[in-house]
Formats: sequence, structure tokens, C-alpha cells
Amino acid sequence: MLNNGDIILSVKDLHVKFSLRGKVLNAIRGISLDLHKGESLAIVGESGSGKSVFTKNFIGLLDKNGWVDSGEILYYGIDPEHPVDLAKYKTEEQWQHIRGKEVAMVMQDPMTSLNPLKTIGWQIEEALKLHQGLQGEEARKKAVEILSDVGILEPERRAKQYPHEFSGGMRQRVVIAIAMACNPQILICDEPTTALDVTIQAQILQLIRNLKEKYGLTTIYITHDLGVVANVADRIAVMYAGDIVEVGTCEEVFYDPRHPYTWALLSSLPQLGIKGSDLYAIKGTPPNLFNEIRGDAFAPRNPHPLKIDFLYRPPYFDVSPTHKARTWLLDPRAPKVDPPEIISHIRNIRLDTMEQQAKGGEQA
Amino acid sequence: MLKYSIKRLARSLITLIILITIVFALLRFMPEEGYFNNYEKMSPAQIELGLIKMGLKDPLYVQVGRFIRNLLQGDLGVSYRYRVNSPIARIIAPKIAISAKLGVICMAISLPLGLALGVLMARYKGRFWDRLGNAYIVFIQAVPNAVYFIFIQLYGSTWLKIPMLYNENDWRTLILPTISLALPSISSYAMWLRRYMVDETNKDYIKLARAKGVPNTTIWFRHVFRNAVVPIVNLIPGSLLMTISGSIYTESFYSIPGMGGLLVDVIKRQDNNMVMVLVVLFAAVGIVGLLLGDIAMALVDPRISFTKKEGSR
Repeated sequence: MLNNGDIILSVKDLHVKFSLRGKVLNAIRGISLDLHKGESLAIVGESGSGKSVFTKNFIGLLDKNGWVDSGEILYYGIDPEHPVDLAKYKTEEQWQHIRGKEVAMVMQDPMTSLNPLKTIGWQIEEALKLHQGLQGEEARKKAVEILSDVGILEPERRAKQYPHEFSGGMRQRVVIAIAMACNPQILICDEPTTALDVTIQAQILQLIRNLKEKYGLTTIYITHDLGVVANVADRIAVMYAGDIVEVGTCEEVFYDPRHPYTWALLSSLPQLGIKGSDLYAIKGTPPNLFNEIRGDAFAPRNPHPLKIDFLYRPPYFDVSPTHKARTWLLDPRAPKVDPPEIISHIRNIRLDTMEQQAKGGEQA
Repeated sequence: MLKYSIKRLARSLITLIILITIVFALLRFMPEEGYFNNYEKMSPAQIELGLIKMGLKDPLYVQVGRFIRNLLQGDLGVSYRYRVNSPIARIIAPKIAISAKLGVICMAISLPLGLALGVLMARYKGRFWDRLGNAYIVFIQAVPNAVYFIFIQLYGSTWLKIPMLYNENDWRTLILPTISLALPSISSYAMWLRRYMVDETNKDYIKLARAKGVPNTTIWFRHVFRNAVVPIVNLIPGSLLMTISGSIYTESFYSIPGMGGLLVDVIKRQDNNMVMVLVVLFAAVGIVGLLLGDIAMALVDPRISFTKKEGSR
């Protein structure tokens, strides 16, 4: 799965800065990440960790006061032999070749992400005309087809309706339909279920997953809901203070986390809490990104930091070919620090569920 | 839609009748001299006789009923003091024509110019066009129009070599009043459109349109402008109808014999009948303007639905 031939997007030492109130904010601090064709990557992290900002670089939607300071974003989707560097894209005209056609996006709030004055059909057709060269009747038919594809009943009639005639979950399906009409290679889902009912969330995730399988999409989920991640992601990247601190397959990050921040993040999952004990909360606040960060950004909130954490920034250490983490704990010279009890508890839960599944299998 | 319009129209009529009654009743408190042109020379008996003759001693509801009936037959009554015994319709018709001509020309010029300026300002927000536009808007809104009207009148007439005052046989004399009226009008269209457009650009659906690869210019016109113009469409019918009330300032400045200031004049002269007619006229125009504005808005905004909601969810 992870040979280099099928890399579609490769980010190399990306630095993104913002100018805010006359000061410079280091929003993304040297991220490197490869995205493989057809995989589904989840980026998790708390608010303000730079999840959205990171992915906005792939589609040229960075706010006007932000810019790529250094680094490369190589996109292999157009010509695998000659990648284009999205970090160098400056003008709207350049981005026109990427947006929609190559990278599409599903945004957080379906209630506001559709134009209230245009019919649903019109809004899908707009994308079809731009990216699939369809016109008139052809485009109309295709729009209806896509609507039924994303699970909207009576698509003929619904295509003629306006957004206010749709519920939140239905609108999110329409937003996804618009993304699909662009026929993209990469689909970025920026907290696609945050604004939705819990009952609808699972349906939307299932829909995105089905479309991914059907069209061989590469999907990126941005979320702070680890439950979502467990459901949909092949790989997880954990972000903290504008950096990816740990990345690995879903299994590896959930069951064998290595970075103290990942430990803390998993420990604060209510589902994993131990009955009778208080829920875990990470102490302190994320660092101020206006300042230069020295050492490991998480060190001040880490209950058991090493001395070196405050002095030097850790490099990535490979745990396995697919799993790496930015923490000095993985250095051979580091003392042995055990993950918190709750983390080993996750392993037990997993064993339990596996046993149950095995039993269930026997009964069936 | 039709049903709704009819309902709204019926409601407007009721409003109008209530309004007529109230104004009518209030005017009864006015001094009686407003019904005669030589009140000072009349004896109390003559006055009494005159009032009875005009039906002003009848019960109020009879008088209101009569007024409305006459109104429906197109009879606005006669003026008592403003222009003695001449039919009011014949007094105001030419005035309305002049005011409306000026107003409509002005709107035809200022609407496109104002909207164009608004688009330009929103499109280049914070840059040259926006700053220039803002300077213009602030100037027009902050400086009393008497000040720049004088400049327009003096320099305009010298540079263009046209007469200062209005003359109905010389179309060139309409140029300066039109400019004077259009300047503030353009500034307010531009101000509102810019503001609505800037509001729209920050909305999520614009981000989605951008994310799906819609070219910038298309986004500006097909999405931002189209949606921002809705509240302005709402105002257009009203402004258009209101042109018949004229503009006090401009008309007196260029001595245009229009409707501007007529209401103030007839109140000062205590011509009760004319006050009544003008109040009803302006109120009716205002009410119809609002109604047409709402209908116009419904035509461009599908969210405004006049029929009962179906179970669409």
C-alpha cells in the first residue's frame, strides 16, 4: 500500500505564516507528509492546531493575510512524472486548474455552504459545466444522477428545489454531490459532520466512504472527533501547534501511540474513561504561535517532560515503516517512560472486542 | 403569489381608509378659516352657512364617506385658498409630471452608476476604487447639500453655459437639477450595495463556490452581486413611486414648479382640502411602494414564499 509510486500529494517541510495585528503567527511549522492515492487520512487535533489551515494550502483558499513561507507541496495527480508545486501557486488563474478538478472540499456547515438563491440542480450543474464540459440537458441529467448517487430521493424533483427546502443532513449530501460533480482526485472533508445530528453523522460518513470506494478518491478528513476517525480513516495524523507530532495507520495510532500528546488526546476520550474515575483533561493551553517555539511544543503541558524537550525540537523517529512520531522518547538514549494506564486500557478494550467478535462469529 | 398580492392589496386599502379617517378627523380641529378665502370679511352667520353648504356640519362618518366616494370617482375636490376654487387635480397633475420626469431621469442615471460604483468598491475593497468611492460617499453624506448645490449651480451654469433656472422649453436646464439629485442618490446606492456585497463575500457558500473552481469574475457577478442586490430591489419600486413627491430642495433651488414643498405650502396656507388630498396621495404611494417592493423581492428571492409551507423536509 505504501510504495512511493502511488504518492499523489507530497508536502515537504511546509511553513505557513499569518500576519495578524502587525505580528507574524507561525501557523504551520515545518510539516512533511505524503498522501497516497486512494487512501483516507484523518487529521486530528484540537482547535487552533492548524488542521484546516494545513489543508487549505492544497486548494489555495488560505485567508488573504496568510502565505506559504517555505516548503513544497508537490501534486502528482496531473502528471506523475512531473509534479506541480502548489506552494508556488500565487494567482487565482493558477488555482483554477486545481480547485474542484483536482482537489474538492466539503465544508463544515451545510446550512450556509449553499447559495440560497440558486436551485440545487443549478449549483451542481455549475460544477459539471466547469469540470466535465457538460451543457444544457446533459448537465441537467448528470446532476440528477449525482443527486441520486448521494442518496437523495426523488432527485428529479429535488434538483428544482432551493437549499432552504432541504434539511441539514440533506444539504450536506448536496454539498458532497457538488464536490463529486467536480470529479476530483482528492476530497478534503473539513469537519463534515460537526454541524449535524448524531443520527445523521454516521450516514454522511458512510456516504463519503462509499463514494471514495466507488471513484477511488483520496480523502482527507479534518476532525477533532476521534470517533469519526476510527470509523473512516486508514491513517491518522495528529496535529499539535502547527505540526504533525505523530502519524501512523489507524491501528498504530490508536493502540500503540508514542507521542505524549497522542497519549493525552486519547486519554481524554470519554468513551475510554474508566468508570468511577474523573475524565482526563489536558492541563494548560496550547502555545502561543506568535512566539518562536523552542523544543517540543507539547513539553510545557506534558506531565513527564524530558529536559531535552525544552531545548531541542525532536526529529521524526520511525516506529515502523508506516508509523513515526516527533518525540525524544523514541531516541535510544531516552529513559523509558510508560504511557498512562488508560492507554494500555485501550489495548484491553480492543482485546475484549476482538474476543466478543470471535464469540459472536461462533454463535452465528 | 397572486392570492398573496390580492390579500396584501386589500390590507393596504384598509390601512389607507384608516389613515384617511384619522387625518380627516384631525383636520377638523384646524381653524375654520381654512375653508374660505375671505374669512376675515365674513360674518359668523355667513361662515355657519358656508360650512353647512360644504357639508362640514354633517356627522364625521358622512363626511369621510363622501370624501372617499368622491376620491373613487376621481374627484379630488377644489382648493380653497392655495388657488381659489380650482380643482385640486388640475393643480397637482402638471406638478407631478414635472417632479416625476426629473425623478425618473435621475433614477435612471443614478441606479446603474450607483450599483456600478458599489460593485467596484466591493471588488477592490480597501484599495484605490474603494477609497475613492468612500471619500465621495462621506463627502456627499456629510456636507449639507446646499453647499455643493451652490457649486453645481454656479460652476455648472458657467462652464456648460446653460441657464441657472429651470425652463420647461429648454431641456438643458434639467441637467443641473438632475446632477444635484443624482449625486446623493448614487452615493447611497453605492454605499448599500458595497456593504451587502462585502457581507456576501464572507459567506460560506462563496468559499464553496471558490473551492469548486468557479472563476473569480463569475463568483462576483453570478453569486455575490446577484445575492447582494436583493435588498436593493426591494427599495426600487418605492423610490420610483416616491419621485412624484418631488424634492423640496432641488426644486426650490432651480425654481422648478414641481411637487416639492407643496405640502408645506398648503399647510402654511391652511388649505385643508389640499392638505387632505396630498396626505392621502403620499400615503397611498408609500403603501403601494412597499407592496410592490415586497413583490419584486419575492420575484428574485425564492426563500420568500407566499404560499403555505409544504412538508419539504
